[in-house]
Amino acid sequence: MYRLVTFLKMFVLTAAVGLVFGTFGSGTPAQAATKSSATIEQLTPSMSYAEYKKRYEKYYGDATAQMAEEGNPADFLLDDGKDLANKVVGSKGKSCASCHGKDAVKLKGAATTFPRYDAALKGIMTFPLQINTCRERQMGAKPLKYESYDQLALTMYIKSLSNGMPIRVSIDGLAQPFYKKGEATYYRRQGQLNFSCAICHVQYAGYKARANLISNNKHHADHWPGYRLKWNKTGSLQRRFRGCLKNMRAKRKPYESAEYRDLELYLTYINNGDLIQVPGMRM
Amino acid sequence: MSVMDTARTKGHLLWAGAAIFFMVAAIPVWAHAGNAKEGRKIVITKKLGNCIACHYLPNVESPGNIGPNLVKAMQAYSMADRADVTQWVRDARKFNPHTIMPPFGANKILTPQQIDDAVAYLYTLKKQ
Ligand code: HEC
Ligand code: HEC
Repeated sequence: MYRLVTFLKMFVLTAAVGLVFGTFGSGTPAQAATKSSATIEQLTPSMSYAEYKKRYEKYYGDATAQMAEEGNPADFLLDDGKDLANKVVGSKGKSCASCHGKDAVKLKGAATTFPRYDAALKGIMTFPLQINTCRERQMGAKPLKYESYDQLALTMYIKSLSNGMPIRVSIDGLAQPFYKKGEATYYRRQGQLNFSCAICHVQYAGYKARANLISNNKHHADHWPGYRLKWNKTGSLQRRFRGCLKNMRAKRKPYESAEYRDLELYLTYINNGDLIQVPGMRM
Repeated sequence: MSVMDTARTKGHLLWAGAAIFFMVAAIPVWAHAGNAKEGRKIVITKKLGNCIACHYLPNVESPGNIGPNLVKAMQAYSMADRADVTQWVRDARKFNPHTIMPPFGANKILTPQQIDDAVAYLYTLKKQ
């Protein structure tokens, strides 16, 4: 009976979310017919985070808390991620544990400074990219396909070692231009609908797009990879970017493209101080 | 000519006059040829206008609240403002460069006919 009730709840939520999240999606991807300007569009935030949170609670009640209580399906990946961290792969006979201790425990805290500037890359290093770089350089192993089960499980497990620790990403020095690029992407109008990330998550946060309350961008980068009901699957922050971009009817880039890494740096930086809580769970 | 005939002629004249009056009165509407019934479909359909993502419109489930309530907004417009209302839908940046409202005409999200239809529907929201 309990399981049935849970299933029904999930079903109702999924159906509601389907209605809601499809708000702007369309079958016709199209290019921006609008020129983008080089300067950052000055937008007025709709409301404070506290005010947004009040609206959220009024609107969704404890639906999300209940969802969390019933367990996060993404938790299943944590054990597999730990196993993967100890597993020897590649031509050099090494595992993550060979360098980072059993269960990679020495990486506790590492997630708090990612993404960050990487001198060899001359660009922004994200967690998934770091894992693949270690595999290729240190272990002589093939990179893991982005958004694959193993890639998500490893990223999630190692990030979870930093759960409860505040994000403290740096944008100083050589990171600065990449941060600026990320910010520009966040504010750039794009796609057939002429939206930008910021127009929704800054200027219209707390308003409803159809039945869908648009979130304030605080806490956007502290809980990925996470489980999303709409996907019925675990995914990364960059998958979320691509979801919003599709709804904007904008062109999409591949995972871990420079544009998405810079955007991730920007978004994570503005979440500095938020506590890491991986895996998240969202509608 | 009998009294009856005169009355009948007067009746015909009255009818003809009324018909001409209504035809002339309807010209501005014809000129735009918007079909309100199609327009209703356009404003509520996700892959077309999807105006209800942002605007309150009557008889739809959970309309958004990003934009103004269009029933209220339309009370302020008369037939003479039809070009302005059309411009809002075609490209709202003319009125507000920072608008979130998608440029339905400029970015070819809707055809000019579809925009006219949507506007024809909006005018049915005006309370008499
Ligand atoms: C038309 C409005 C709109 C635009 C434009 C938009 N988003 Fe979203 N975004 C949403 C909605 C609605 C959701 C789901 C509810 C919510 O806000 O968490 C969402 C969710 C998200 C989330 C997940 C939040 C969480 O708590 O996990 C992230 C991250 C995000 N968006 C980033 C972006 C980025 C980056 C862009 C630009 C590339 C963007 N969004 C553009 C409306 C938008
Ligand atoms: C993504 C949000 C969004 C969508 C979708 C949208 N609008 Fe709007 N609309 C707005 C906002 C916000 C305003 C208020 C003016 C401003 O700030 O740009 C507005 C203003 C208007 C106005 C002027 C109202 C007034 O007060 O004078 C009209 C008319 C209008 N919209 C019609 C439409 C129609 C018809 C559609 C669909 C074909 C549509 N809108 C889709 C956001 C939207």
